Amino acid sequence: MKFNINTPEGTRDRLFAECQERRQVQARLTRLFRQRGFLEVSTPDTEFYDLFARSGSAISQEQMIKVGDPSGKFCVMRPDSTTPIARVAATKLKAVALPQRLYYDQTVYRANPAHNGSSREIPQCGVELIGAKGKKADLEIIATAIDALRCCGAPKFHVELGHAGFFRELAGRLELADDGAEEMRALIEGKNFAALVDFLTPYQGHPACAALAQLSRLFGGVEVLAQAERLAGQTPAVDYLSSLYDELSAAGYGQYIRFDLGMVHQIDYYTGVVFRGYVEGAGDAVLSGGRYDNLVGVFGREAQATGFAVDVDAVARTLPQLVPPVLRTVVHYEPGYLAQALEAVDSCPAGTCELSPCRTLESSLNLARDKGVERVLVFDKDGERTVTV
Amino acid sequence: MSERLKIAITKGRLLDQSVELFEAAGLDCTPIRNPGRRLVHCLPNYPLDAVLAKAPDVITYVEHGVCDLGIVGKDTILEKGGSFYEVLDLGFGKCRFALAVKEGSDFYGTYKTRRVASKYPEVTRSFFEKKGMDVDIIKIEGSVELAPILNLADAIVDIVETGATLKANGLVPIEEVAPVSARLIVNTASMKLYKDEIADLIARCEGELEKRT
Repeated sequence: MKFNINTPEGTRDRLFAECQERRQVQARLTRLFRQRGFLEVSTPDTEFYDLFARSGSAISQEQMIKVGDPSGKFCVMRPDSTTPIARVAATKLKAVALPQRLYYDQTVYRANPAHNGSSREIPQCGVELIGAKGKKADLEIIATAIDALRCCGAPKFHVELGHAGFFRELAGRLELADDGAEEMRALIEGKNFAALVDFLTPYQGHPACAALAQLSRLFGGVEVLAQAERLAGQTPAVDYLSSLYDELSAAGYGQYIRFDLGMVHQIDYYTGVVFRGYVEGAGDAVLSGGRYDNLVGVFGREAQATGFAVDVDAVARTLPQLVPPVLRTVVHYEPGYLAQALEAVDSCPAGTCELSPCRTLESSLNLARDKGVERVLVFDKDGERTVTV
Repeated sequence: MSERLKIAITKGRLLDQSVELFEAAGLDCTPIRNPGRRLVHCLPNYPLDAVLAKAPDVITYVEHGVCDLGIVGKDTILEKGGSFYEVLDLGFGKCRFALAVKEGSDFYGTYKTRRVASKYPEVTRSFFEKKGMDVDIIKIEGSVELAPILNLADAIVDIVETGATLKANGLVPIEEVAPVSARLIVNTASMKLYKDEIADLIARCEGELEKRT
C-alpha cells in the first residue's frame, strides 16, 4: 500500500518565521480586543450544517468542508465564527445581561477551487458586540476596526463604509421582482459599470434610476455621500453614514475612512452599516464586518449585533518579514551541572543559545561546528568556560 | 499621479485591439508594439506597466492583485469565474457562445440523455442547469467540431464568430448561450487603493469607446 505523506490541497505546514508572524498579528489584535472589554470565546471546529444553513450567511454549501459525524448527521468545519457566536449568545449566555462583548481567535475553513493558491484554513481574529443597537455601538466597532489595522502595524490602510439600507431603498423604489433585484445587485457588487447601465435602460426616467446606475461608482472619500444625496435625494442610510463620519472624524479617525455605497454583498444578512478594511499589499479586503440585527434572533434571543473579523494571514503577509533568531552559543555540561547550564540558556535572548545533548565535549564541539556556531559554553567541575570552535 | 498601475493583457488578437484602444486614448504603446525580450512593458507617457499573458492567467494575476487591471474575454470570465470588478465592455473581440448540432438533427426532441462536447465545461454546465436539463458534458481540448462528427457527442457548445467553421463541418448553431467580448477587469483592492489612477484610465477608455459608437 502506498501512503500519502504530503498535506492536502489548500493546507500546509508553517515553519518558524511564518508561525511567528501569524502569532504577532494575533497577539496584537487580541490585546486590543481585551483592552476594549471583549471576552474570548472559542467554539467547536465542527458543527452541524443546519446551523450555517439557518443563519442566512452568504457562504455557499460548496464552500463548506463536510465531515462525518458518528450520529449520522451532516457536519461541516466552521466556515465562519459569527454564526456559532450568535448561537452561544442566544443559548449559553441567555441569562447574561446585554450588551455582550465577545472576541475570538480561531480558524475558519473554506473549500476553495483547486490550485488557486488560497488556503482552506483561514485564521481569523474578530469581535462581536451583541445586544447593542444604534450609533454608539457602530462607532465603537468601526473605531475598533481601524485601531485593529493600526495596531497590527499596517503601513497604508483604510476602512470603507457602506450601508445595506441604501441599496434596499433604491431597489425598493424601482419595484423589481426578486431575481431582477438580485441580478442588479450582482452587477453593482461586481462594479460592472456598462452592464448595469444596460440593465437599467428599461427604467430610464424613473427617479431611482440615475442613482442606481451610478451606484457602482459611488466609492471614494467623504464627497461620495454628497454625490449620493444629489442622485438619490435625502436617505436615512446616507444621513446615518454622514453622522458616523462626523463623529469618527472628531475622534481622529477621519483619515482612515472611505465609503463604498456599492458594497452590496450579503444584502440579506447585513441590516445596516457594513465595512471592509484594505491594506496596501493585500489583493483583497483583509477585514470585513457590519451590522447583523437578525442573526442572534434566529437562535432564540432577539439581540441586535455588529462585529468584524480580520484575516490574520492576509494582514501578516503585508508586514515586514520577521527574521528568526540566530543560534550563537551551544552549552555543554557535565553531569550535575544542569541547573547552571539551563540558567545560562535562560539568560540569553530567546533562540540564541541552546543545550547540547551530547555526552562528550568533543561531540558537542562537532555539533557546534555542524550548526555553524562559534561559541561553546562549558560547565564542569572547573566551573564555567568558553571554547571557541 | 503617484502610483504606476500594472495591467495584464491577453495575448493574441485582443492584444492588438487593446493597443489600438489605448493609443486612441492617448497612451503611447510603443514598448508593447516592439517588445524585444522584455516581459514588462512600461508605457513612457502614462503610469502604466503592461504584461502579456494567456487569458486564464490574466484573471489569476488580477485576482491575486499582482496586476491591478486586466483585459480578457468574457468567454474566459464565464468559464473560470473569480472575484474581481468587471468594469467595462471594451466592445471588441466580439463573438458568442452557441449551441451547435449536426445539420438536421433534433437536439431537444428526445428524452434520451444528450452528450455535449465543449472546451468550456463550466459555461456548458451552467447553461443546461438553467434549463433544468441533465446532459453529459465531455471536455475536449482541441477542435470541438470533431466530437459530433465522430459521434462522441450530440452537440457542442463553442465560440462562434462567423459560423464558417461550423458550416464546413456540417454543423448549425441552434441557440445562443452567451454573447462574448473583451472586458476590462480590476482587482478589488486596487480599485479602492488607487481609485483616482484607475478612474482616469477607465474614463479614457470610456471616452474612446463612446466616440466609436
